[in-house]
Amino acid sequence: MRISELEYSNLNISNEDILEAMKEIPGYLDITPKDFLELYHKAYRHALGRLKSAIKARHIMTASVVTIDEHKPLADAAQLMANFDISGLPVIDRQGQVSGVISDKDFLKHMNITEQTSFMHVILSCLDSPNKCLARDLKGLLVKNVMSSPLISVGLETPVLEVADILESNRINRVPVLDQEFKLAGIIARSDLVRALS
Amino acid sequence: MSFFNKMKGGGQSPPAVGLSEILWSWIGAFCGILPVAWLNYNLFNDTDLVFVIGSFGASAVLIYGAIKSPLAQPRNLMGGHIISAIIGVAVFKMFGTYLWLASPLAVATAIAAMHATKTLHPPGGATALIAVIGSQKIHALGFYYAFIPVGVSAFIMLAVALSVNNLSKTRKYPEFWF
Repeated sequence: MRISELEYSNLNISNEDILEAMKEIPGYLDITPKDFLELYHKAYRHALGRLKSAIKARHIMTASVVTIDEHKPLADAAQLMANFDISGLPVIDRQGQVSGVISDKDFLKHMNITEQTSFMHVILSCLDSPNKCLARDLKGLLVKNVMSSPLISVGLETPVLEVADILESNRINRVPVLDQEFKLAGIIARSDLVRALS
Repeated sequence: MSFFNKMKGGGQSPPAVGLSEILWSWIGAFCGILPVAWLNYNLFNDTDLVFVIGSFGASAVLIYGAIKSPLAQPRNLMGGHIISAIIGVAVFKMFGTYLWLASPLAVATAIAAMHATKTLHPPGGATALIAVIGSQKIHALGFYYAFIPVGVSAFIMLAVALSVNNLSKTRKYPEFWF
């Protein structure tokens, strides 16, 4: 279930629930169950609204980001990703601005296969005939030839739920966080979102 | 919702209170009205001073019987009575020759003033009305009416509410002061 749907499902407090609760509080409560329910619904929506915007991108992002220059050969990107055990990197242009993101998905996309290529396809191709190993297609390419652009990014103050929406609707696994001057401030991966919610 | 549909109600009434709440309400009201009635009938009987007016019976319902209600809190009790008393006396002084007009004017204006000052206290409406329709003794007090009986008696009842309402384990008064 999505968090935005909570609004409609968790409000099922019955009249009896309220009457029982009122009996548990000693003393005369100057409110009808119906008024209480209306109050509860409105308060719930306020709380939900507050939750939706309380946690911002800057709270959950990883601030120390490994990046790569867009003019570097693709092998350098692969080396970095292997060394740091990560599956994607923000790409920086000559002006020091983030120009895109490169991930293992982008590597797969640029191998000469028309169908959706997976890591296992690459393994198979290399095992079957080393000369036709799919990874060979990537030789000579530069980071900027392969990276995903235009850049999808979020701001420091973007609410976390909005970040989740951006990852989900663009089917991406990480998104760079830019500061007010559009400089790279951090990165949020799907795993950061899970950590924020746990 | 249409005009007539609104009259159907449709909601449920709150549950009844327990026996201990009924007892504490009785004790509170007895102890609260006792001193003001005693002052009225014993100490100041031969003077022009009045200590007890009808609206204190209504205040007793709130400050001893529905102590959690926002209407029953000190701000509302004191503010509601004093503001309404001043308005009642002022309206009587201006429109006292037309009691049919002064009466609704005093009550309606008192309610508006209590709303505006966040001091809504239902007995305040009675306090304003009594300033208009009250006895010669009340009329003779002028604006003094807002001090004695209204202010002082409300204060005595508040002092009793603070002590009696906090004797029971399950009761606490006030919810807020201002």
